[in-house]
Amino acid sequence: MSKRETDPAKLPALGRMLLWVDKSGSATKITWALAVACGLLFLADFTFEKHGHFDVENLPGFFGAYGFVMFTGLILAAKGLRVLIKRREDFYGDKAVDREDYPDAGLEKVDHDV
Amino acid sequence: MFDQIPTAFLFFAGAIALFALPQGRLRGALLLIVPVIAAWQVWGLELGSSHTVSFFNFELELMRVDKLSRIFGVIFCLAAFLGNLFAWHVRDTVQQVAALLYAGSAIGAVFAGDLITLFFYWEGTAIASVFLIWARRTEGAFHTGMRYLIIQIASGVILIAGVALYYRDTGSIAFENMTLGSLGTWLIFLSFGIKAAFPLLHNWLQDSYPAATITGTVILSAFTTKLAIYALARGFAGTEILIYIGVVMTLFPIFFAEIENDLRRVLAYSLNNQLGFMVVGIGIGSEMALNGTASHAFAHILYKALLFMSVGAVMFRTGTSKASELGGLYRTMPKTAMFCLVGAASISAFPLFSGFVTKSIILDEAAAGHMYIVWLALVFASAGVLSHSGIKIPFFMFFAHDSGMRPKEAPTHMLLAMGITAALCIAIGVYPAPLYALLPYEVDFTPYTTSHVVGQLQLLLFALLAFAILMRTGIHPPEVRAVNLDTDWSYRWLLPRMIRKIAGVVAALWNGILSFLTQRLKNIIAGLYHSHGPEGRMASTWPTGAMVIWLSVLLGATLIVSFFG
Repeated sequence: MSKRETDPAKLPALGRMLLWVDKSGSATKITWALAVACGLLFLADFTFEKHGHFDVENLPGFFGAYGFVMFTGLILAAKGLRVLIKRREDFYGDKAVDREDYPDAGLEKVDHDV
Repeated sequence: MFDQIPTAFLFFAGAIALFALPQGRLRGALLLIVPVIAAWQVWGLELGSSHTVSFFNFELELMRVDKLSRIFGVIFCLAAFLGNLFAWHVRDTVQQVAALLYAGSAIGAVFAGDLITLFFYWEGTAIASVFLIWARRTEGAFHTGMRYLIIQIASGVILIAGVALYYRDTGSIAFENMTLGSLGTWLIFLSFGIKAAFPLLHNWLQDSYPAATITGTVILSAFTTKLAIYALARGFAGTEILIYIGVVMTLFPIFFAEIENDLRRVLAYSLNNQLGFMVVGIGIGSEMALNGTASHAFAHILYKALLFMSVGAVMFRTGTSKASELGGLYRTMPKTAMFCLVGAASISAFPLFSGFVTKSIILDEAAAGHMYIVWLALVFASAGVLSHSGIKIPFFMFFAHDSGMRPKEAPTHMLLAMGITAALCIAIGVYPAPLYALLPYEVDFTPYTTSHVVGQLQLLLFALLAFAILMRTGIHPPEVRAVNLDTDWSYRWLLPRMIRKIAGVVAALWNGILSFLTQRLKNIIAGLYHSHGPEGRMASTWPTGAMVIWLSVLLGATLIVSFFG
């Protein structure tokens, strides 16, 4: 579906406050804020003495580097896995839950009044 | 008198009493009161107390109350309460009865002091829970439920076979710590492993939980697998192979969860991954490791239920749980979004949230045992949890691209259920002492040390940064409508085709043999017809003269024989 214009005044107060995240430039700001936080956390490693069970734990920034690298590796590996195991949604036929709509009797689809 | 009633029976009595009440608030209230009464009873039971009955020649121990069974009993009551609160709007007797019987069976199994009682409740959870899937009332749900039921019942059948062999070997049916060795113990282990979703035995979980009703999945998520974790902790603590099984369990689901589109199935994979941490704790088997497992199960039931509730609430309003169809819902469902974020932070083990104070016990024990590879794998798996449960669930549902949907905020009872659960997640994270006091053994652990907090924050924030970069560079895989193959492919796709193929070959062989035999039979009949038929030589009418000739030949021969004889 395409972008839908919504009158912010009609949104719940909390939702209105969160609208900030969709403003242009916000994503960049969030990314930079994250980067700064990561930098500070890296520096924090020098402020206390570590007593890890393993030597690698005592390397400054070990957890950060490990998290960054492994996370990226995970995403890339998952992309590769998708090539192997992705199938059309009706792969198991039309009588599988993946193809069914959830019965309306169990739902209460109500639109927010906007 | 009150404490003489096995806790499970309170739930069963509640299930019967439901029929006396009309659909509506009264029933809803009963569904909430039963777990509260049960929790109150469990709380009041003295540790070490037990309740036995005779059954044929066996003494069955229906209630064995110790610190290990008590913590699982308490969290199961709490989960039943929260699940039923979330399902306040449901007016379906099948689901209401199933929820009570299911929770009751799980609690009964946890307090079972012997293996036969365990078996009865074990099957009870299987039979009661399948109705939460069938209650969706679609053909797909029916077939999924059938697959689920076959696997769950199989687990029970393997259990009772193992128990029989174990009894023959040891002469005891007591449910105590066992050592893997005999066929009996291996069968019991396998049966627990099926329910605990060990690798390759896991796929019933991801197959069935997304097929259940919206509220049914919330209830399903709490009991079956954690009952198996309890059973493993009781029966096989310190079994080394569990460490490796657990490590594999934490790792492989994170790859599948990453590319899965149905968010309830993502959560099922993530559930599988969380069970892995608990299984590692059981495998290590030290007192602190078992504390870690029990506390992680406790925290996990809450945040997993919370996540299933938030996805369920979105599904309740939009009709779908597929990431490709959702997005941008924070505008109109901000409260649900916030609760979802609390669940996401808890499962990702952010400091001040419940996962942090429980999972780090297990990681610390692995490190203390100098299991370097195991520890590295668990730290990696922790980053993996962040990727699918911490980021993917809230991000693609409430943020990401605007789907254009503007659903109304979740109904009040759902918000209440999510709110209480979220509050508990935060409370445990901020002040873990009461939870630690409930654990089976003495706790000697400080979660909030500088190195713990900084290390964990580094891991999570750097991973988040990696996500932000991958998203902005477009490398992160998009959410698309698709199914992904898993081991269920073997019995949903391969097996039917193999059976069809084999059936084809058998049919061809059969037809071949049959037509060959028919042809032979026809030939015989034709031959007989040829000789004995109306036109046949043997059936033709011969002239009288021919008979006279043959008679004279016969007489002549007799004459010659008697002449020379």
